[in-house]
Amino acid sequence: MSEVLTKTQEIVKEGLALGADEVLAKTTFGRYRQTRFSNNQVDITVAWNDYVTDVALSWKKRLVATQIRNFQDSNNIINRLFKLAKVSKENPAYGGIAEGTFKYSKPTADKNLRELENPTEYVLEALEAAKREAGGEVNAGGTLYTKYEDVYLVSSQGPIGQDARSAVELSIRAFSQIDASGHGVECCSSLKEFKPTRAGEKAGEIAKLAKNPKQGEEGKYDIIFDPLFFGSMLATWGSMASAFSVMIKLSVFVDKLGKKVASDIVTLRDNPARYSVSNHAFDDEGFPTQENTFIDHGTLKTYLHNTSTAKIFKTQTTGNAGLVQPTAWNIEMDPGDSSKDELFKQVKHGLYLTNTWYTRFQNYATGDFSTIPRDGIFLIEDGEIKQSLKDLRLSDNILRLLNQIKGISKERQHVHWWLEADPPSLSPYVLAEDIQMTRPK
Amino acid sequence: MEKDIADYALNYAQEKHVQYAEVRAHRTKNEQLVIKNGVLDAFVSTINSGFCVRILAKGGLGFASTNKWTKNEAKTVVDTAFKFATMAKRKDKITFAEEKGVEAKWSVPQKKKIEDIPPEQKIEELMEVDKNLSSQEGLSIPGRVIACSISLTEKYFANSENSIVTSHVPKIAPFAFITVVEDGKPEQAYKQFGRSGGWESFNEWKMTESLLHEAKVLQKLIKEGRNIKPEKMDLVCGPEVTGIAAHESCGHPTEADRILGREMSQAGRSFIYQGGSYWIGTKIGSSLVTIVDDPTVKNSYGYYEYDDEGIKARPRYLYKDGVINDFLHNRETAAKLGTRSNGSSRANSYSREAIVRMANTFLQPGDWTREEIIEDVKHGIFMQSFTEWNIDDRRFNQRYVGREAYLIENGELKHPIARPAIETSTLTWWSAVDAISKEIDYDAATCGKGDPMQGVPVYTGGPTIRLKEVYIR
Repeated sequence: MSEVLTKTQEIVKEGLALGADEVLAKTTFGRYRQTRFSNNQVDITVAWNDYVTDVALSWKKRLVATQIRNFQDSNNIINRLFKLAKVSKENPAYGGIAEGTFKYSKPTADKNLRELENPTEYVLEALEAAKREAGGEVNAGGTLYTKYEDVYLVSSQGPIGQDARSAVELSIRAFSQIDASGHGVECCSSLKEFKPTRAGEKAGEIAKLAKNPKQGEEGKYDIIFDPLFFGSMLATWGSMASAFSVMIKLSVFVDKLGKKVASDIVTLRDNPARYSVSNHAFDDEGFPTQENTFIDHGTLKTYLHNTSTAKIFKTQTTGNAGLVQPTAWNIEMDPGDSSKDELFKQVKHGLYLTNTWYTRFQNYATGDFSTIPRDGIFLIEDGEIKQSLKDLRLSDNILRLLNQIKGISKERQHVHWWLEADPPSLSPYVLAEDIQMTRPK
Repeated sequence: MEKDIADYALNYAQEKHVQYAEVRAHRTKNEQLVIKNGVLDAFVSTINSGFCVRILAKGGLGFASTNKWTKNEAKTVVDTAFKFATMAKRKDKITFAEEKGVEAKWSVPQKKKIEDIPPEQKIEELMEVDKNLSSQEGLSIPGRVIACSISLTEKYFANSENSIVTSHVPKIAPFAFITVVEDGKPEQAYKQFGRSGGWESFNEWKMTESLLHEAKVLQKLIKEGRNIKPEKMDLVCGPEVTGIAAHESCGHPTEADRILGREMSQAGRSFIYQGGSYWIGTKIGSSLVTIVDDPTVKNSYGYYEYDDEGIKARPRYLYKDGVINDFLHNRETAAKLGTRSNGSSRANSYSREAIVRMANTFLQPGDWTREEIIEDVKHGIFMQSFTEWNIDDRRFNQRYVGREAYLIENGELKHPIARPAIETSTLTWWSAVDAISKEIDYDAATCGKGDPMQGVPVYTGGPTIRLKEVYIR
């Protein structure tokens, strides 16, 4: 057993010795690197090392949590935490944490991502690719981010595990004109599959197509969503599937278990698989993560649970425990049977939306919302891109959008971008019909 | 916080060929309480401390941080930041606008010290708010999250130009998200509170009254709310709506890093850019419009006396008399645009690079009263608060949807209007302002920017205003 795991275990023992009913400790040694660039040059490269043990402790259905950043302080901090539990309030609905011993899948983290010698090389590759597509005058910016985490988890209820999680993510936005841009992302859990040129090419290609945009017109359109745009929507539905969101009515899925919530061709899963930048062998209770189909051919099958919310909903945990609340890890949309090109051919008069941001709700329970497409917005006529547009807003209902999906591509892309497409997803091109677009007046 | 380790890191950095080096250490004691539908979901108590080093060398910037307080780790952090700075290989070298070294110590006083309030009292006071909401006869609020973040942050900043700034800031920030159901229909409201200072703020906010008001507004909206026929009419906006518009369509577009393209791939750019139609001196609104960003508003949520580059804080007049007047700068953007920093550099943690941020952004008051403005409207909408809102990444095309809103007919408030929306441009919005009230009010908010995301505390605010003849749907 590693020294870190032993020390993590000691924290759990200290908590139990004080009289806690349950103690969870998760130590993460994280090494994170990021290169930020704009105007085709590197602005800054950042490294942050973080050493932290997250501790959750329950006593008589009182749940308290803290962080330990130096093992030498652990005794004092656990004592303080236990005192806090004693003056805290009982949560009658608290259902405990996962019990038992489990086998976990082996970590496949890429050790090369512990310490990238020269991350700017990847940035330059992406910039060159954008320039090749959009021309030498293109102005691009973005971030290259790497993560390598060693994770050690010990639970008083049995689970004990080690995991290593790695990720490399490139986000690049290219401008061919001040109001014409394209955005590409490349997200992988290892360097082996990582191809920064793909993101640069995509950004450059869209930026070139987006030149000379005209004011878009308000109305209802059939829309082809790019995987990057649709990743934002998948992230929203994934977050709304968390039992916590359901309990506080921050979700359109309240009281809809077993009911039709989407078009028949829609199947959504949460799956923190090894390819994902959000890969997890186990959740924050030490329960093995799994693939959870939460929408199956249009029907809502389950919420995403930790042990405690599962008991409230009289079901089993789905392996989605965060330290306190259940959380979605990585949303996968099942592929359809059309190619991207075939989807485009189905559109007589519509739009191709490549990216979005600032998704905000009037009412999470009903799903009324708007989001602002950014980067390339294109008019499609008879299956062909005819004109670049600007200044349009998608103003509709997120539950209705799920039901308006009429086509899904075979091609899918792993996308994760800033807060806008988070949690990450495996996202296809999607055709949805009759979606309301508005414009400023 | 071990200042000797931070000083060691700075001294070690200065032994290298650096143009500039700084060390910034934070120690934050934080408590987070979440009451979910009447039960304490969790009480999280943490102490997070660490430091970062930022180095400017060979015209490039490098940054590294750690939470391990050892000299060896300090050396590693400095070596990493220096290596990153030198490998940037920029064509146009980064420089910082000149500043003299400064020594300063500042703090925010507390009447009731947060440290003296036992955890059980904090729990009880929040639970009491929930109890008052859930026990109202004739009012169903089945979804209730009432949470509170309480923090004490010590900072130590030192740089290679002999600046040393230390600070101590307590902050309290409760928020609530409620769902009211009437006749099976849900409506929702989110309300954030926040101040720099001690526990005394908690009672001053009168959270129960404020949230009960919100709940009753939602109930009335479900029962009596009517839709509006889309057309041009007068729009009277309360301080909450004025404040969000000032933040989104004045504060953000005047951030100089955004203007220069440094945030182009995330938070975006600005309708203000070099060689474009808008720059300092360009008209952007009616002559009544003056918007200031001021970190020095006492006890405000966005209060600070020195920014995270050790620059003294001062008010910035971003739009003045309807004209673009100033930008928010740090030392890097100021150097690029040939000016001086105006103290707008902020980081939300030791592990984050300080970037250009707002503090408290608000429209200056006018000479009307709120009542006079409403009485002067023949046909229009009074939008007291907002729900959905968003703005494009150039900060020009924006939309605000009313939460509490009423029809105004012949100078009188009538029935509630269900979710009236204004979707317009920054220029149209500020050009339409023709009346501004004397009274000003602020709302606490968390402003998002940066990658990784850095939420920083701010105030948004302003008086009641009237927009003449704007399109409402």
